[in-house]
Amino acid sequence: MAWKSSPINDIKTNQTTITLLFNAFSNPKLGRWIIPGTGVIWFLGCFLLLKRYGLDTEIAAADSLVFGLVLVGGMIVLDQTFNYFLPKKENLGQIIGVPLILSTAGVLVHHYLLSWWYTDELEYLAFLQDTSYLRMGMLLPIELLLALLALVVAKLEGQEQLSKREAQMLQLSKDAELAQLRQQLQPHFLFNSLNSINALVGTQPQKAREMVLQLSEFLRGTIRKDPQRWISLQEELNYLKMYLDIERVRFGHRLIVEFQVEEESETVTLPQLLIQPLVENAIKHGLYGMTGEVRIAVAGKLESNYLMLEVSNPFDPESTSAEGTGFGLSSVARRLFLLFGRTDLLESGAHGAQFKVKLKIPQFQ
Amino acid sequence: MIRTIIIDDEPLAAGLVQEFLADFPQFEVLEICQDGFQGMKAIQKHKPELVFLDVQMPKITGFEMLELLDAPPAVIFTTAFDQYALKAFDAKAMDYLLKPFSQARFKQAIDRFLESREKESPAEPSDPELNQLAEKSNRLVVRVKNDIKIIPVAEVNFFEAEDDYVTIHTSAGKYLKKMTMKVLEESLDTGKFARVHRSFIINLNGITGIEPYERDSYLVKLRGGEQIPVSKTGYSRLRQVLGL
Repeated sequence: MAWKSSPINDIKTNQTTITLLFNAFSNPKLGRWIIPGTGVIWFLGCFLLLKRYGLDTEIAAADSLVFGLVLVGGMIVLDQTFNYFLPKKENLGQIIGVPLILSTAGVLVHHYLLSWWYTDELEYLAFLQDTSYLRMGMLLPIELLLALLALVVAKLEGQEQLSKREAQMLQLSKDAELAQLRQQLQPHFLFNSLNSINALVGTQPQKAREMVLQLSEFLRGTIRKDPQRWISLQEELNYLKMYLDIERVRFGHRLIVEFQVEEESETVTLPQLLIQPLVENAIKHGLYGMTGEVRIAVAGKLESNYLMLEVSNPFDPESTSAEGTGFGLSSVARRLFLLFGRTDLLESGAHGAQFKVKLKIPQFQ
Repeated sequence: MIRTIIIDDEPLAAGLVQEFLADFPQFEVLEICQDGFQGMKAIQKHKPELVFLDVQMPKITGFEMLELLDAPPAVIFTTAFDQYALKAFDAKAMDYLLKPFSQARFKQAIDRFLESREKESPAEPSDPELNQLAEKSNRLVVRVKNDIKIIPVAEVNFFEAEDDYVTIHTSAGKYLKKMTMKVLEESLDTGKFARVHRSFIINLNGITGIEPYERDSYLVKLRGGEQIPVSKTGYSRLRQVLGL
């Protein structure tokens, strides 16, 4: 019995075989009837067997009843013992010991009770004497089996609770990570924009006011009430345009962005803020990495069950090797993995002096 | 007049520095540069006393640009990133202005500069050891005459120490950079490079063979045919990283 040390994966295979039983045991409605039910079946089986041996109906019934009660008593004790007390590796002997004691005691109780009750039935007493080892032989394996089952069920229940807790914790950390990944794109962009406003206030107050509004709109978008909700591509693109407007104030007319989005794909939905980091990445390598005019293209189309998005920017192969894929891409890849459990949704690479990022978003409808 | 250069890739940000600086008539802005390349050339040309320097810029960062200068001027960093403050301090920056900054804070930085200028002029040449803070980086920026070359670390075959300089050997050629082996060693990925000798750091990818040389010393053969001496400690280090 290496339940404790075996990894969850190993347990899984066993789990399926025991799941049915486990469900019966852990289901409060069904589980309640398992012990009395077994007792009744046991009673009936013994009764019919004893009748076949030619015992008197009354005696057979009494014998079976007591034997059945002994079994039920044993089951209750075993169930309680192994549900609440899980033996450690070093005292696993209890799995054998407890049923052994219980079945011995059960057979003895049965023997003395019935021989006391039927003092005069000499033939039956002889039969009782003869069959006591047989009864022991029946009771012991069954109680052993029950002890094992009770132990397994208790373990599985514990396992189930553990994995439930683990799943909850995983979900929590996933949510936290997603939230963090969404927010990570902010600080330097925010502070640089504020600095631009600071500069504009003195020289072009009207433009400063405009930028304050743009920045507010953009920030409102990042702290939407329901960050888990999917938004339409159109919404995301509007948001993107807001972001680009701000960047354009910061970098003047060096930045040119082209959108090529099929109309039919504009209503398609996608997780929020997935494209923005890609464009931010394109800007980082295109605009921050190069001097002169920079043209960034954003294309979107529907292909079978995917929304295909492509962001491309020119880059300087010499200086861009510096940061490789950069944080923006890896954070998007991580988010895609957390959302869809797949790693093949984001592709990136250089094509000549163009850097292209391809994003696939599965559409479930 | 105090000769000044502003280096920032955002015209508005550079404009703000210029505007704030207009309150101090003793400063003269000679040039406003939008990236580190331009900045380096302007510094060499004008020999300014003070430079306002952004960190994140096209091509090379402000720190990388400073590394290339033989006699860096006084620097006031202007950046939105606060994580460079420590590094700026190590680079003996005059001050570190976090964007957005106020006019009062700007004045403070200027006062600090003027104060130190009175105390110790001309500016002492900075210690290269302190000037370069070891930071994991996957590229090296070197100066080739008046141009700048960016070398991805992965393309380096080996480094060789030469006095205050390090020769960077790549398949395309060799480059000289003013830095110490210690700083260089700390900035490299220990899984990819190993210091096998007091004067040599090699790219583990390029090793084609190791053979005994003299007593207690070995030779490493590289893909390019070079033979690099390996010291006793270098050999044990090499065995460790290669898992021999």
